[in-house]
Amino acid sequence: MGDRVRIQVDGATIMVESGMTLAAAMMMSGLAAMRRSPGGDPRGVLCAMGSCHECRATVDGVRGVKTCMIEVKEGQKIERDQPLGLASLEAKIDRSIRTVEFDLAVIGAGPAGLAAACAAAELGRSVVIIDESIRPGGRIWSYRHEPPLAARSWLERARQAGVQRLQGYTVYRGQPGELEVAGVTDGNRVRVICHKIIVATGARERFLPFPGWTLPGVVGAGALQSLIKGGLDVRDRTLLVAGSGPLLLAVARLANESGARVTLAEQASFADRSGLAIPLLLSPSRWRPALNLWNALADVEKSSSSWVKEARGDGRVEEVVLRTPAGDRVMAVDGLAVGYGLIPESRVAAGLGCDLDESGAVRVDAHQQSSIPGILCAGELTGVAGNEAAIDEGLIAGIVAAGRNPQSRLLARVRRHRFWGQALESAHPLRDEVLQLATEDVIACRCEDVATGDLSGVTSFREARLIHRLGMGPCQGRVCESSPICQRLTGSDTIRPPWMVVPSGLSTRVSQVRDSE
Amino acid sequence: MNQRHHVIILGAGIAGVCCAREFVDRGFKVSLIESGPAAGVQGATAAGMGHIVVNDGDPEVLRLCLRGRELWRERLNEEETDQSYWRSGTLWMAEDDSQMEALKGALGRLQSAGVESELIEGERLFKVEPALARDLVGGLRIPHDGVVYAPKVTANLWNELEQVESYFHTAVVEIGDGWVQLANGSRLAGDAVIVATGISLLDHFTGAAGEWARQFPILPREGHLAITARGTRILGHHVVEAGYQKGAHQVSEEAVACAILPRPTDQLCLGSCRRPGRGGPVDAQLLQRIIDRCERFVPGVSSLPILRTWTGSRAATSDGKPLIGPMPGLKRTWLLGGFEGLGITQAPAAAELLCQRVLGEACILDPGAWDPARMRSAVVGRLHG
Repeated sequence: MGDRVRIQVDGATIMVESGMTLAAAMMMSGLAAMRRSPGGDPRGVLCAMGSCHECRATVDGVRGVKTCMIEVKEGQKIERDQPLGLASLEAKIDRSIRTVEFDLAVIGAGPAGLAAACAAAELGRSVVIIDESIRPGGRIWSYRHEPPLAARSWLERARQAGVQRLQGYTVYRGQPGELEVAGVTDGNRVRVICHKIIVATGARERFLPFPGWTLPGVVGAGALQSLIKGGLDVRDRTLLVAGSGPLLLAVARLANESGARVTLAEQASFADRSGLAIPLLLSPSRWRPALNLWNALADVEKSSSSWVKEARGDGRVEEVVLRTPAGDRVMAVDGLAVGYGLIPESRVAAGLGCDLDESGAVRVDAHQQSSIPGILCAGELTGVAGNEAAIDEGLIAGIVAAGRNPQSRLLARVRRHRFWGQALESAHPLRDEVLQLATEDVIACRCEDVATGDLSGVTSFREARLIHRLGMGPCQGRVCESSPICQRLTGSDTIRPPWMVVPSGLSTRVSQVRDSE
Repeated sequence: MNQRHHVIILGAGIAGVCCAREFVDRGFKVSLIESGPAAGVQGATAAGMGHIVVNDGDPEVLRLCLRGRELWRERLNEEETDQSYWRSGTLWMAEDDSQMEALKGALGRLQSAGVESELIEGERLFKVEPALARDLVGGLRIPHDGVVYAPKVTANLWNELEQVESYFHTAVVEIGDGWVQLANGSRLAGDAVIVATGISLLDHFTGAAGEWARQFPILPREGHLAITARGTRILGHHVVEAGYQKGAHQVSEEAVACAILPRPTDQLCLGSCRRPGRGGPVDAQLLQRIIDRCERFVPGVSSLPILRTWTGSRAATSDGKPLIGPMPGLKRTWLLGGFEGLGITQAPAAAELLCQRVLGEACILDPGAWDPARMRSAVVGRLHG
């Protein structure tokens, strides 16, 4: 701990702490603006979990690397907004593909994926987990040096059961029985042949556009959590954590414990959230964590029925207009974290052909089986219900994938978790005011700089995409799809490869090299 | 016909919208019927690469391409069209001496038709396009060819039209002589019906017209494309391998050829392939072959990040030429389609020609070459002989 490494950003050497994510290291070094948008605006980290692609840069000659998904390394060279030179094309990328074969491939190493892999491996199946992050644990258990206590037992069980991992790999294409994956830093390819697949890709944050939301320093709520865990030092920083949902509490707690001056603003009213009292009373196992959380937030300023109306700043966020029941309040901040709950990350499952419901969650039966034979799904992508639900669903999926029947007690527990998830959801209804924050000038699609006003009168996704370029950038619509402007559009697009944009194209053979002149 | 008359156009792709413009400009009442949600977002208009190329394969085809290119140059302005038009020029690339000879032949035909073009041999090729593979022997450069982003251009043209009665989300179930039956039960009749529905061009005819349509069907030819991320425009020209035209003329076989189109958005569109089909799911192996073929001409291009891949379908006819003229057996119903891969280039010229025919005006091009009735004899002879 505490070792330092040297990295080079646009030729300038900076010292950073080892083990950090590159995104956190760059933000720490005052480089919150990581690139320019097509319209020339500065952009930085938004999601910090590999969805939004806003933090991408050229790293060691590889273009389009998401800096939130990789770790700093001695001598690493980062270039921002580098025009593509032919010389860099000659940096030969190894596109040979190696093939590995397993009984079961699990996509995602969060609670659901780890539990699924352990359950199947302990029943004698050969299992590989494919996970995009630097280390296993998913977003909730992400860590830099030591895994959190809750994750440790699962990681140990996985090790003992012989679960293999492709850590730092993204699934970009596949079908039942076969997945193609690429390394997030180098694009190296692996073909995974597998009898069964468990998709455990979790959830991503819901972002609602508001004036100033594209300023560097405005990040997701979960993103702040990931950045702090990734090494971002927030001591003595003034941070506003806003939006909606229980995640805000955990984020505010972590920021507070990490030495930041935290203000917490929840858009839902106290009355809405008091609806949780009865489900909480019925669920004794949640009493102690709830009490702990409450105590930990004792010295954090908290308000309900409050939301961010606007973020302002020159090149990065400097102040925020917070709407509170007492009126508008302008706050000077060092950072703003805003998220409006979680939505299922079901793209890989949809790419594999699984049916989704109207909320975008994968439809599964009580045994976590999707509409496609041999493909099971576990965790938040089947409906957001928290990590206990994810673990139990993962166990069920792993047991079923191994050809066994899960115990009815386990199935009953999942039903209770789902009830709790629904109670949480209905305790945080989104108010009309936050759905109407995106005025005409507010960017709706960050990748392609499409303004909300550009879409007035547009009724279909096809028109929004093809004519106005909404969702045509590297995030493939992951950020804008949940925004109110998209919710009113009819139709949807099919999920085609690449399911996630990977740094080095789609080709999987060794290429010829241009002769030197 | 005069200005009080009513023209019904089926299909709001690039051809249908160009055609609507011709009639609106002349003061006619126009109704436009489209199965999709908006203009320019369906069919080959939505899925195509968006190249404006002059094709020298046949003198009539060349004239239609040239007129189309000329009209685009008049109507679109590189500065004003929101990154949807760019005069990139086409560079046809030769891998060996025999292809170079073929390009020389093409140069002769183009120059005698007055088309600005030049051969580029040896080192000069790599000065013009440094990203090309060093073992290429030369190229044919056609500087005034270009790139349009067809969905946007079509939408812009559509937005400029005033007083067009539009029916979106509206499917057609039957087409007769001067009338169409809609899926919603209603029937529209006009003085002229113009069918510009791409691969569905001949799907809804009955009786003698239906018989003709079955005899000379539209042959849908599927293509696959991929597009790179912004910041990857390493080419200044639309670069196409000389062998492309050979592939374009094979109707039944599968053909893959390098065609890389730089988009004004600082992206590259990678193609191309042709095979029978209506545009199904992306075929990973086929896409691999396309990208490998592009890599052969532009080393390193296969390692650029790909944002999206998609398929689409071109409407080809049995003799490889478009249908611009009256539907055989009908008097008030006209065809505008079957452009295969040249629809975007030819659309404004074909629309102009069709409008001139419908109204009995003097035609700027010879209409006989495109008259659907040509299919009566020659092709029957070929198919059965």
